[in-house]
Amino acid sequence: MKLRTVRAAVILGSLVALAVVGCATASKSPTIGTGDPVADRQRLMKNVGANWADIQNKVKAGAQDTVAVNAEALSLHAQRIPSLFPEGSLTDKSKAKPDIWQKWPEFQAAAKNLENRAATLRDQATAKDGAAVTATVGTFGRDACGACHTPFRVPPPQQQPAQPRS
Amino acid sequence: MGVLARRAWHLAVLLLVSLVSLPALASAQAPSAAELARGKYIFGATGGCGCHTVPKQPVNAGGRRYDGPYGTVYSSNITPDRETGIGGWTDEQIITATRLGRRPNGERLIPVHPYTVFNGMSADDLKALVAFLRSVPPVKQAKQPKKISVPMFESVFLPAWLAAFAPRESPPTSAPTSGVARGEYLVRAVAHCGECHTPRTMTMATDNTRFLAGNPKGPEESEVPNITPDKTTGLQWSEEEIADYLGSGNKPDGDVAGGLMGEVIEGTLAGYKDLTKADRLAIAQYLKTILPIKNKIGK
Repeated sequence: MKLRTVRAAVILGSLVALAVVGCATASKSPTIGTGDPVADRQRLMKNVGANWADIQNKVKAGAQDTVAVNAEALSLHAQRIPSLFPEGSLTDKSKAKPDIWQKWPEFQAAAKNLENRAATLRDQATAKDGAAVTATVGTFGRDACGACHTPFRVPPPQQQPAQPRS
Repeated sequence: MGVLARRAWHLAVLLLVSLVSLPALASAQAPSAAELARGKYIFGATGGCGCHTVPKQPVNAGGRRYDGPYGTVYSSNITPDRETGIGGWTDEQIITATRLGRRPNGERLIPVHPYTVFNGMSADDLKALVAFLRSVPPVKQAKQPKKISVPMFESVFLPAWLAAFAPRESPPTSAPTSGVARGEYLVRAVAHCGECHTPRTMTMATDNTRFLAGNPKGPEESEVPNITPDKTTGLQWSEEEIADYLGSGNKPDGDVAGGLMGEVIEGTLAGYKDLTKADRLAIAQYLKTILPIKNKIGK
């Protein structure tokens, strides 16, 4: 056997081995975050809120085209929402309603709705369709966010003034 | 008088009665488009009469459950169905129930329906509202019977409570059309903000000395925010932000309305979101003029 063939086989073999090991390790620790679903979803939602506030400010400032990145973030976050609500994950810090698990398909559909609406917004911004962005943003708080917050969240008691975002 | 003559007499009377009543009936049954639009607007300004709709169920068909210290009641079917709704009631009877809390048979409504507040609505607005209610598709759905657990609640306690404790709004000669007065009218009589946002006394009456100062034990176990202009515990949004919130559900910090507030903003066939910008601003302006009350809600 030629030395070159052997070397190639060894390299290829190690690569395959590496990939197999890599995949195995990755599938063992797929979670990102602290592992506490309430803390993790509240962190996620804080970022959803920050992106949503950013989108509104950009639209008010006439920068409709620049909301694509925020809308993309919302759409990606929405995909993770159901996994952050394992059954019965309620603490006194949580404002989630137990209805979530009684009406799970509805809850999943609401998350999917956010994902789709945000993707639509992203596409409109990418296509530089300012009028469409403004129209979508006009009702987004109610038909994308509110559609889930109204049935499934107990509103927080304090209305916070707008804060500078980190 | 012979039988024939009597029959002829009856026929003549019948003819006369129908001639007189026909035009009246016709006018009652065909409100103008403007009247219907006004009614729908008022319907939206109440939050879509949302207590009468179970979310995602037929609009206005009632059946929503309310637990109180006296027992459990279910909201009424206010669709124009003749048997199970209000289709068989006259306009006056519907208005009396809305304003004074009396059914056509004289029975008192349990004041979960805030008639002491709706009494502050103008006659024209109520008339338009009734016309709109009649235009919504009828739904046949019988009301679930209430379960009152307090003995003599309706015969003794309720009338005494209404007379002694419940603050009652009085109707204006006509609805204010602009400015802070318009905002006050909408907040107090139509949107009935105080029902959730005003704390309650020992007797469960709204404590209007602390009007809109928040309720730590609001409906559906929610902590309802203090929306007086108190600097530390109240609502500190600008007028523009308040008006925007009522139309879009968006809070200045990127959060959105949820729970019952989300419901009244969205409404059913109409909600707070359908108020004009001028009216939403009038509400915001009025909220800036009420007494600031220090009352911290929540941790």
